[in-house]
Amino acid sequence: MTTTSAGTVIAPARARTTAASATVRRKQGLQHGGWFVAPFLVLFALFVVWPLLRGLWLSFTDANISGEGASFVGLGNYREALRDDLMWEALGHSAYFTLLAVPCITVLAFLLAMLAHHIERGKWLWRLCFFAPFLLPSTVAANLWQWLFNPGTGMINHVFGTDTPWLTDKTYAMLAVVVTTLWWTVGFSFLLYLAALQGIPGHLYEAATLDGANAWHRMAHITLPMLRNITGLVVALQILASLQVFDQAVVMQDFGPGPEGSTRTFVQYTLEEGFTGYRVGYASAVSIIFFLIIAAVALARMWLLRNREEGGR
Amino acid sequence: MGRPGLNRRHMLAGLGGLTVAGSFGFAALGTGADALASGARTRVTYWNLFSGGDGYNMVAMLDAFRAEHPDVAVKDSTLQWGNPFYTKLAMAAAGNRAPDLGVMHLGRVTGFSPGRLLDPWDTGLLAEYGVREADFNPELWRRAVIDGKLYALPLDIHVQLCFYRKDVLRKAGLLGADGRMVPPASADEWFAMLKEARAATRKGLQTIGLWLNDQNFQWWFFVAFYTQLGGTWFDEARTEVTFDTDKATQVLEFLRRHVTDGYADPGFGGGAGAEQFLNGSPFAWEGNWSVPVFDTAKVDYGATPLPPVFGRPATHAESHAFVLPHRSGRGGAANEGAHRLAAYIVRNARAWAAGGHIPAYTPVLATPGYRKLDPQSEYVSAMDHQATEPKAWFAGSTGILAQRIGPVVVSSTMGSAKPDAAARRMRSTLAGLLAMKNPMDGKTAAQGGAAA
Repeated sequence: MTTTSAGTVIAPARARTTAASATVRRKQGLQHGGWFVAPFLVLFALFVVWPLLRGLWLSFTDANISGEGASFVGLGNYREALRDDLMWEALGHSAYFTLLAVPCITVLAFLLAMLAHHIERGKWLWRLCFFAPFLLPSTVAANLWQWLFNPGTGMINHVFGTDTPWLTDKTYAMLAVVVTTLWWTVGFSFLLYLAALQGIPGHLYEAATLDGANAWHRMAHITLPMLRNITGLVVALQILASLQVFDQAVVMQDFGPGPEGSTRTFVQYTLEEGFTGYRVGYASAVSIIFFLIIAAVALARMWLLRNREEGGR
Repeated sequence: MGRPGLNRRHMLAGLGGLTVAGSFGFAALGTGADALASGARTRVTYWNLFSGGDGYNMVAMLDAFRAEHPDVAVKDSTLQWGNPFYTKLAMAAAGNRAPDLGVMHLGRVTGFSPGRLLDPWDTGLLAEYGVREADFNPELWRRAVIDGKLYALPLDIHVQLCFYRKDVLRKAGLLGADGRMVPPASADEWFAMLKEARAATRKGLQTIGLWLNDQNFQWWFFVAFYTQLGGTWFDEARTEVTFDTDKATQVLEFLRRHVTDGYADPGFGGGAGAEQFLNGSPFAWEGNWSVPVFDTAKVDYGATPLPPVFGRPATHAESHAFVLPHRSGRGGAANEGAHRLAAYIVRNARAWAAGGHIPAYTPVLATPGYRKLDPQSEYVSAMDHQATEPKAWFAGSTGILAQRIGPVVVSSTMGSAKPDAAARRMRSTLAGLLAMKNPMDGKTAAQGGAAA
C-alpha cells in the first residue's frame, strides 16, 4: 500500500518532473536547433523571399535597370504582357520543349535503369556511363552537341549520311535542344529509378514466378505499379525543370533566339526584356506570370495525383 | 603561470605588420595595385569588348600608349561583347562604379541614356590631345552628338562586305582590268554574275555565303539594301512610321532569291559561309572583321562594299566608339587621362585597321601605311555611304530593334514567310517600338527630342 500510495504519490511527481524536463529539453532543442537552422533561414530570406517580394513590387512599376526614377504603374505591365505576342510565342516554345522532353526522359531513364539493374557484368560501368553526363556543366554539354549537330562538319549528319540543318532550321532547332538535354540530364532520373528498382522486394518476383507469371506479367503487375510513385516524382521534377529550359538552348544558338526565334524560351525572353531592353519592371511582371504558370502546373499535378489516389482507394 | 609574451610594443608591431600585409592583400585584389607598382600619377580604368584579333590589336595599342605615357597607368578589362557588356556597363554607371573609359557601338549610345549613364566628352580637352570634329566623317560625328553634346568618340566603322575569290572570278571572267571585281549595277546583273561564278566553282560548294539563318546579319543586309532603295524608317518628329513595305518587299525578295535560285545553301548556315569561302566558294558576305581570318589563310581574295544592286551604293555600317560612363565625380586627372588615352588610340588607328576596321579618324585614311593595306583600301569608300539603323533609343548593334525584326527578315529569306507578309510584320514591329517608352527616361521616341 505504501508502495502503492507512495507510488501514487510519487508517480505524478515523477511525471511532472519528466514533463518539465521534456519541456526544458524541447525549449533547449528549439534554441539549439534554431541556431542550426538560422543561417539557412537568413540566406533563404535574403536570397529567395526578399528578391521574390522585391520582384513582385517591381512588377507594378516601370523600373529600369539603373533602379532610378521608377513610378507605380499598377497592372499596366501585366496588361501589356497578356497582349505581347512575343511572350506567348516564348511560352509556346518552353511548353513545346516540355512536351517533347518529359516523356522521352522518363521512358529513357526507366529503360536505362532496368538495363543497369539487371545487367550482371560491369554494373558500375553502366551506371557511370548513364549518370556521368549529368555532372557536366550545361555549357560543356551544349557546346559538345553544337559540334555534333553542326550541319557541315558534325558527326550526326556524317553518321546518318544526311545534310539536315539541325541548328539553323526552325523545324529541327528545338529537337536538337531536346536531344542534348536528354543525353545531359537523363542520368538524374535514371538514378531515381535505379534506387526504386533496388527497393522492390525480391520475394514478390519469386512468388509471382512460382505462380507462373512470365516476364511481361512481372513487369506489368509488380515493377510498374511499385514504381508509380517514383514515376510521379520524375515526371513532376522534369516538368518543372523543362519549363525553365534556358542555358543549353541559348548556348547551342550562340546566345541568340535560334532560327526565326524558334528556341527563344520563356526564361530567355524575360532576360532579354530585363537586360537588353532594360525594362526591369516589365520583366518582373513577366517573371511573376511565369511563376504563376509553374505554380499552377505543380498544383494541377498534385490535385490529379490526389484524385487518383482517392479513386484508387 | 607566466604572462603571455605580449606587450604593447609587440601589439603595435603586430598591427603594423597586419596593415602592411593587408595593403598588399588589397593590392593583390587590384585596388591600387597598378598605382603602387608603376608609381604612376594617374590611373585610368578602361572597359572594352574586344576579343580575338581585335583584342590583340587593342592590347598592342594600349602598350604603345603606356610606353609613350609612363605617367598614365591604364587598367584595362576585356568583357564578353554584346548584351552582357552593355548590362555591366549600365549597372556600373548606375551604381557609380563605372570605369573612366568605355567602348560602345555608336548605334547603342542613343538608348544608353546620355546624361544619365553617359557623360559628355570635353571637346576642348580632346582638341588639346589632337582630335577635332573636322577630322571625322560628318555622318559619324552627327550620330555621336545628342542634345548638342558629344557622347561618343568614334574609333572606326565596321561594315558588311562582299568578299570575292579572285582565282574563281578570274576563271569566270568577272574581274576588271585592275584585278578587282566589277560591281554590278542592278539585281539582274548581280544574279548573272552569280550564275557565271557558279559555273566556275568546284562542285559541292555553294556560290555565296549569306548567313541565311542569322538574325543580325540578315538584318544588316536588309538595312543596306533598303537604304540603297532610299527607304526611310520614321518621320522627323518620330510620330509616324514611314517604312515602305513595297521597298522592303523588294529587298526581301532579293535576299530570298539567293536561296530559291540555289546560290546560297541553307545547309551551310552560320560561319559555314566563311569555311566554304576558304575552300573555294566564290563569294561571302561577311563583316570586315573576317579580313584577318582570310589573310591568315592566305586566300587570293578581294573585298568591296555590298553590291549596289539598287543603284545607289550603301553598305551597313556600325561603329566602335569611346564613351565616358557616368561617374558622379567625373573630372580631374583620371578624366583627363581617359581623354588622352581615347584621343591617342583614335589618332593611331592604323594598327586598328589591320583588324579590317575603317578608322574613323580620317587623317589615318590618307596615310601611305593605310593605303598600302589590301583589301582595306579597296572598301574604304564604305565610309561615304553608310547604311545605318535609325537613330532611336531601341536601335543599335544587338539592340531591341535587331532582336525583334531580325527573325522576321530571316523567316522571309528562309522561306517560311512570304516577303510581303514579312514586310508588313516589320512595319507593325516598328510601329510598336515607336510607341514604346524608353525604360531609361519613360519617354517615347517622339517625346525624347534629339535623344529619341
